[in-house]
Amino acid sequence: MVQFLQQLSNGVVIGATYALIALGYTLVYGIIQLINFAHGEIFMVGAFGGLAFYLYALPESLADESYMLPLVFLAAMLTSVVIAVLVERFAYRPLRRAPRLAPLITAIGVSIFLQEAVRLYFPDAKSARPFPQYVSTRNVGFKGVGLPIVAIFVIVVAILLMIALSAFIKTSKTGKAMRATSQDPDTARLMGVNTDKIIVITFAIGAALAGIAGVMQGLQFGQISFSIGFLAGIKAFTAAVLGGIGNVTGAVLGGFTLGIVEALGTQYISSTYKDVFAFVVLILVLVFRPSGLLGERVATRS
Amino acid sequence: MSLRTTTDRLVAEVQTRLTGRTRPTLLAGAVLVIVGSLLPWLTFGGYPGQLKSPFFFGDSGVRIFTLLLSVAFLLALFALPGRRKAGIAASLGMVAITAGTFLSVLNERGGLGAFAVGIFLTGIGSVVALLGFLALPPDVEPGRWRRKPQWVELLIVSGAQLALLLVVVYALDVGTDDGARSSRIIGFFLFIIAASAAVHALGVFAGISTLYRRHRGVTIAAGSLAAAAFPFLISEVQDGSAYWIRVAASIGVFAAAAIGLNIVVGQAGLLDLGYVAFFGIGAYVAALLGNANLTTSNIDLPFYIVIVLSAVVAAILGIIIGAPTLRLRGDYLAIVTLGFGEIFRLVAQNYDKLTRGPNGISGVPNLKVGSYDFGDSHTVLGVDLPYFANYYFIELLLIAFVIIVFTRLATSRIGRAWVAIREDETAAQAMGVNTISMKLLAFAIGAFLAGGAGAINAHVATQVSPDSYTFLESVTLLAAVVLGGMGTVAGAILGSAVLIALPEKLRTFQDKRLLFYGIALILMMRFRPTGIVPNSRRKLEFDDADPTSGDAVTQEQPPSTGKAVMAQ
Repeated sequence: MVQFLQQLSNGVVIGATYALIALGYTLVYGIIQLINFAHGEIFMVGAFGGLAFYLYALPESLADESYMLPLVFLAAMLTSVVIAVLVERFAYRPLRRAPRLAPLITAIGVSIFLQEAVRLYFPDAKSARPFPQYVSTRNVGFKGVGLPIVAIFVIVVAILLMIALSAFIKTSKTGKAMRATSQDPDTARLMGVNTDKIIVITFAIGAALAGIAGVMQGLQFGQISFSIGFLAGIKAFTAAVLGGIGNVTGAVLGGFTLGIVEALGTQYISSTYKDVFAFVVLILVLVFRPSGLLGERVATRS
Repeated sequence: MSLRTTTDRLVAEVQTRLTGRTRPTLLAGAVLVIVGSLLPWLTFGGYPGQLKSPFFFGDSGVRIFTLLLSVAFLLALFALPGRRKAGIAASLGMVAITAGTFLSVLNERGGLGAFAVGIFLTGIGSVVALLGFLALPPDVEPGRWRRKPQWVELLIVSGAQLALLLVVVYALDVGTDDGARSSRIIGFFLFIIAASAAVHALGVFAGISTLYRRHRGVTIAAGSLAAAAFPFLISEVQDGSAYWIRVAASIGVFAAAAIGLNIVVGQAGLLDLGYVAFFGIGAYVAALLGNANLTTSNIDLPFYIVIVLSAVVAAILGIIIGAPTLRLRGDYLAIVTLGFGEIFRLVAQNYDKLTRGPNGISGVPNLKVGSYDFGDSHTVLGVDLPYFANYYFIELLLIAFVIIVFTRLATSRIGRAWVAIREDETAAQAMGVNTISMKLLAFAIGAFLAGGAGAINAHVATQVSPDSYTFLESVTLLAAVVLGGMGTVAGAILGSAVLIALPEKLRTFQDKRLLFYGIALILMMRFRPTGIVPNSRRKLEFDDADPTSGDAVTQEQPPSTGKAVMAQ
């Protein structure tokens, strides 16, 4: 039982990161039906943006003080947002009316490009780079079930962000415009919504969340590398589809489900097939519930 | 948007300033470019004394490319339709080649001392030419080609294939044996882009493709001849080096798989992101049954049985995967297939007992069909063909088979059902198409072809390992289909050729080649989202969706209707 609870909490930690990245996928997909395959790379770029800020912008004497962490988060978010907005503007927007597969290929091109750009031009990024440990990795817990402080921190931050995001989408004017654009872009435009702007904002929000997730990944594992975006991106996309793509709550639920399934599967079935579980669960869910856990509409637009 | 308006304003500015003076401007540009290209560009390297092949522009010369592009000036003399766009493309190419050479030499050798007068003349001349072409009045759209005598048309059709072959051979050969490789290769690719843009603007490609359609048989014959001649030419040009023939052998396998994927994606519209799994399964089956050195089984079956088995096993797996998941639509199917691809790779990596884990199965022997050993090299017509040429030729046969399957299916009742499903699944179902079984059929046929291609690949690569069947490979296959043009055979072949050869060619840039590959994918989709050889039906749809190119739609209409109306 202790073991089960332990794995359950581990799963929640993994799931928190997946969920944060999945939100970016789901937001963008909800609005322009684009599978933004480069989103995993935005996550990776964010982590490197945070690292660069720590290495080159902070004075050395103060860099390791824990109150600098918000600044690192901010730098990561800024990097991700800038890159994502540039990508949207120069790679995706010209293809808005192109055949459906064209932007997908572009996204893959962007993904390869970003990965290689970081690998080649970030100093010493060809192998993993250590990430500053702002939050202690000491274990806390009770009755044998323990989690590092950093993991608890990650979960708390992720949940706060998700609450903030759903409040934003539900209540703010921009959020309303986002929902309108997602339902029917043409009508939204007729109603005076600047859909281009809304699309950019959506990309930016997704990227900001991914940037935060990037720093959290660094904090948790103590290192980042140029290749972390790929698998994280695929898993997060899986999470988004699992929950019902285009659905914000679904992405969160999908992320946590995926994390928990992975942790439990590793413990009880086999650790070599860790990455397989995610996909098996996905296939099973889709076969029996094709629109995802929370998806109400089947994606018919194709 | 702001970028566009700024350029528009600049162009308008140029036009008002140069009205009535375009002729002298173009003349000045022409003289500067031509003289500049004939003069040496750099002060070292023995210019212009060294007369190396091909032309006396050998060495690190890219001057031949600017000189060839200056042919565009001739256009300005005649009021050819499309001359403004063509001229702009050509002069932009010249600007890019000079600027690129300038920057790369500046970067590598340091300092302005390395430059001789020629590069500056060409640089200035090409900018002047660009301004001159910008100032020309807007183009008349190039119309359709008039019918020419039969023999002229046939000559054009086969000449175009020959030209393509020569360009390909030159493209592969360029930069392999001189010092300044990268600047020469970049120069050549800039030239090819600029020249094809210019030729396209003149309506030549559209004309040739109508001729292709009119003379289908001759086109296919000439194309096959050109494909068969390729190993001879490249082997001759490269002094018997096997490198590009080996690359061509991998392109062949890849192209066969890409055509299979084209059935799934291009015809039936099922986005498959894990297609490489079927390719991999075929390869593993062939390696296990084909008596490899380091294997877990010791079975030695003749190849013609193995290839059928590989294809059948892949097709069965396709059905097993497809049956439950093909009820899904669009992006859900994409992610499920992606998941399946990953599962295949992870199982191959971890199920040591059968697959030997991450090491894979190596030492797959060369093919033997009857007494013919594919590992032997041959001398045919006085040309030494490396043994990879054997594989290349058998792949041509495979591709021919795949093409026949593809085209026969595409024009059949089944093919029409696929197109209906692709366009609107609900409507297709309402019209009585059994969508599930049709989709399953597309999936199974795609898997079958991929499995067969994979079986050959196991022998070409001599080993199979999980690393060769990653998500990136699936993406590359898909990119080959989309890049070449969805739903067309020529597109899938061209797309695979470009996507396999490009990274090989970019090997000169070692570390940076994937970076360039990424950029190339983005740019290709940006400027030609319908692919190199667009499917005519798809092209119509796309033009229709884009209000700015309404003219193109009217052009697509067959000329016969116009004539008929006039006759009445």
